[in-house]
Amino acid sequence: MGSRSPLPILQGLLCEVEGGRLRVTGTDNEVTVRTYLEVEALEDGVTVIPAKLAADAVRKLPSGAVSVTAADGEVEITGNGPRFRLRELSVADYPKIDDSLPADTIDVVGETLVKALSQVGIAASTDDARPTLTGVLFEENEGGLRLVATDSYRLAVRDVLGIGATGSKLVPYRALRELGRTVGDGPMKVALGDREAAFLTDQGRLTVRIIDATFPKYRQLLPDSYPNRLEVSKQHLLEAVARAALVAEDHIPVRLNLHEGGVELSVIRQEVGEETEHIEGTYEGEEMTIAFNTRYLTEGVGAIDSDTVVLQTIDALKPGLLHGVGDEDFRYLLMPVRL
Amino acid sequence: MRIVVADCTVNYAGRLSAHLPRATRLILIKADGSLLIHAEAGAYKPLNWMNAPNHLVEEEGRWFITNGKGEELTIDLHEIHMDTAVELGEDPGLQKDGVELELQRLLSEQPEVIEEGLALIRREYPTPIGPVDLLCRDASGTTVAIEVKRRGEIDGVEQLTRYLEFLNRDERLAPVRGIFVAQTVKPQARVLATDRGIDWAEVDYELLRGADTDILRLF
Repeated sequence: MGSRSPLPILQGLLCEVEGGRLRVTGTDNEVTVRTYLEVEALEDGVTVIPAKLAADAVRKLPSGAVSVTAADGEVEITGNGPRFRLRELSVADYPKIDDSLPADTIDVVGETLVKALSQVGIAASTDDARPTLTGVLFEENEGGLRLVATDSYRLAVRDVLGIGATGSKLVPYRALRELGRTVGDGPMKVALGDREAAFLTDQGRLTVRIIDATFPKYRQLLPDSYPNRLEVSKQHLLEAVARAALVAEDHIPVRLNLHEGGVELSVIRQEVGEETEHIEGTYEGEEMTIAFNTRYLTEGVGAIDSDTVVLQTIDALKPGLLHGVGDEDFRYLLMPVRL
Repeated sequence: MRIVVADCTVNYAGRLSAHLPRATRLILIKADGSLLIHAEAGAYKPLNWMNAPNHLVEEEGRWFITNGKGEELTIDLHEIHMDTAVELGEDPGLQKDGVELELQRLLSEQPEVIEEGLALIRREYPTPIGPVDLLCRDASGTTVAIEVKRRGEIDGVEQLTRYLEFLNRDERLAPVRGIFVAQTVKPQARVLATDRGIDWAEVDYELLRGADTDILRLF
């Protein structure tokens, strides 16, 4: 629904009933979501209802069946007593949505894609001033699909094996975030066209305009090897960073002193106080201290799908690499903060 | 700077002929020899002028100014109201807006932000109509003139167009292409730049400055 659009009609949802199936369409001209629902229909018809009000109204109705009737420029929504009568928006004004699908589609397990997107999506920027960084790069990599996102402070890379992809396309994460919630995570067809990307399941379809920009050359940021390597429990690291974050807030980095036997986390905020703790782990390399933004570190560690995480470093000013032990399908490159 | 206010008649012969009938006017003779004749109105533009180098011969009630191009200016001075000279001293030049100057400095240190492979030749590269902000060489070896503005508007594109015209006359540099760089480039300026074959780029001032802070970035 078009909260970002100046066109009033895009504040509406196009509802079409045909043969016992309701098709609901919302668009802001960049992202279009179309979902299907089996309904008990007395009569086929089309209406455009004010999206936010209708959704809030339905949500506030007592539980049970909801009945929607459109007639004479009004939409009546009732359920177990309460009755809303909302002004209908003009069906004729609603933009025509092109339902065709590009010829080249790839079949994916929706659940795998949705999860992979949520892993890399944490690194996508929300700053519209730099649109390139608000997207997730879909690109072909060694016969599989690679997803990449970066906000320039961190970079997340997820290789998804078994999904064939060709070329590379930049898809706004703002739309991808809604994928599981809207079209579900069942068997999915993905079409990456020159102008649009489409994600199709039997529950619906999400179409989004491709970002026409060049993604940063990220491969050169991922070195082949790192001299220092820490292995530590994901749970322990997350809990420790959460405690450090209590003192740090967002703008003070947490220091990680990497040494034989594990890592010492410390955070010092002059006017407030400090916190330190040691986490046992294995460390190979030179003793060193590196500092990270607590939120970025937490999000990266949290996205790793493994009980033990690996932090690899070069020095205090070069990006550190996080991934699961024995699993580099998901990699999270994090820029340190200068101490 | 010699400042003369006088009732005068002016005749110019050169590329064309021009005649200014008798009236009271301001005549400026700058230290470099250039001479300008101003009227009460007409904003900053002189009615007539003769650039340096030129040759001024002063006779009683009449000045002759000639130059190597065969141009001749004759000023008949009927009555002189004022004739004075003031030593203005050296001028520090036009101070650019602080952010713009800083932007130029930051970009000169990291021209690759504007375009990959760009290398600085020098800042404030002189042209006969003023210095161009950055002169660079691109990855293919072509010379690139870059005009840096805080806000990218049409007049900035015009300015760069003029620089390019002069720079392209220099065989050692030509061909010279242009890039118009600003924090934000207005849509009209984009269209004009594209129409003139000039590239444009937007740069993030905060991001450029970021290199100096504790917040490190991947790229």
